Amino acid sequence: MSVYIIPLLFLFIFIYAHFKKVKIYDSFTEGAKSAVPLAVSIFPYLAGMFVMTELFEASGLSEAISNFLAPAFGFMGIPKELTRLVLIKPFSGSGALAVLSDIFTEYGVDSYLSRCACVIYGSSETVFYIAAVYFAGAKTKNLFKPVVISLVASFASCVFACFICRIM
Amino acid sequence: MNVIFGCVITVSITVLLFTAPEAALAAFLSGGNKALELSLKLVVIYCVWMGVFGVMEKTGLSAKFARLLKPVNKILFGNVPPLANDYMALNISANILGMSGATTPMGIKSVQELEKHPGTEYAIAMFFVINATSVQLIPSSVLALRTSMGSASPSDIILPTILATLLSSVIGILLVKIFIKKT
Repeated sequence: MSVYIIPLLFLFIFIYAHFKKVKIYDSFTEGAKSAVPLAVSIFPYLAGMFVMTELFEASGLSEAISNFLAPAFGFMGIPKELTRLVLIKPFSGSGALAVLSDIFTEYGVDSYLSRCACVIYGSSETVFYIAAVYFAGAKTKNLFKPVVISLVASFASCVFACFICRIM
Repeated sequence: MNVIFGCVITVSITVLLFTAPEAALAAFLSGGNKALELSLKLVVIYCVWMGVFGVMEKTGLSAKFARLLKPVNKILFGNVPPLANDYMALNISANILGMSGATTPMGIKSVQELEKHPGTEYAIAMFFVINATSVQLIPSSVLALRTSMGSASPSDIILPTILATLLSSVIGILLVKIFIKKT
């Protein structure tokens, strides 16, 4: 079903543009032009994020914090095997996807742990990535409250995910 | 951001100094490399989506579409400038449909547009939280991964995921309403 959404949407837009007598090629290239400056402007922020995540992983800090927090997470119903996933998700989408696929291989793709991991992965976004990228050129630098709110909400949904996977 | 970045970097380097000093610079460089790889991918994705959006804008489709979502936007964000409203409507619908390539360019444009006007701090905070808590209906990357790893029923996580992501968005929205003052 979902595979049809994008092609149908594109088709609709282009046919509609045709009827409206819009110069499709010109407006497409006009829009696409701004992609390069956009990517260039967010590059430094991406680099900062990735350097931070790499160091966090390489130093063993992420593992230490995982181990440290695992009991507390367990108390709230999050299995200790999933602590790493919960911690890495706000920083790196691709990192979280890698952890997710590790969990699949280790515990079997249809196990409770794996299903739970899927829901955790799908329920929140990479908060710091969005903060870095959306606000790359922005003057607003005071993102403290929104970031904390997002992290709290994401964490609550992780707890909920572990609960709901037990009954569904 | 400065505090988090500073702390993580300093502590990590200190630890590495004792455990594996040669890995420190390597980690920096590999971080940069990953950023470059991602940027290259993003250029392509943005080109396609911003091209399509370019067509949409010229046809007036995006404005029409945004008008449809205006009541929802009004409840969530209060009064926002019309152009920002268009971008935000596109961003949020792309989020819901799981078109991750389309969300970022529209998100950045929304923030830039909002910033041009005074008194939009509340809208910016709300917009960020909604994006960060994700409102995706179909977790396509997870489904693809499950299918490729031979799951018996890849789609049985869809409903719990929708419930969990709804919950995170609702909590996020409520917290913004409580803790951030509307200006």
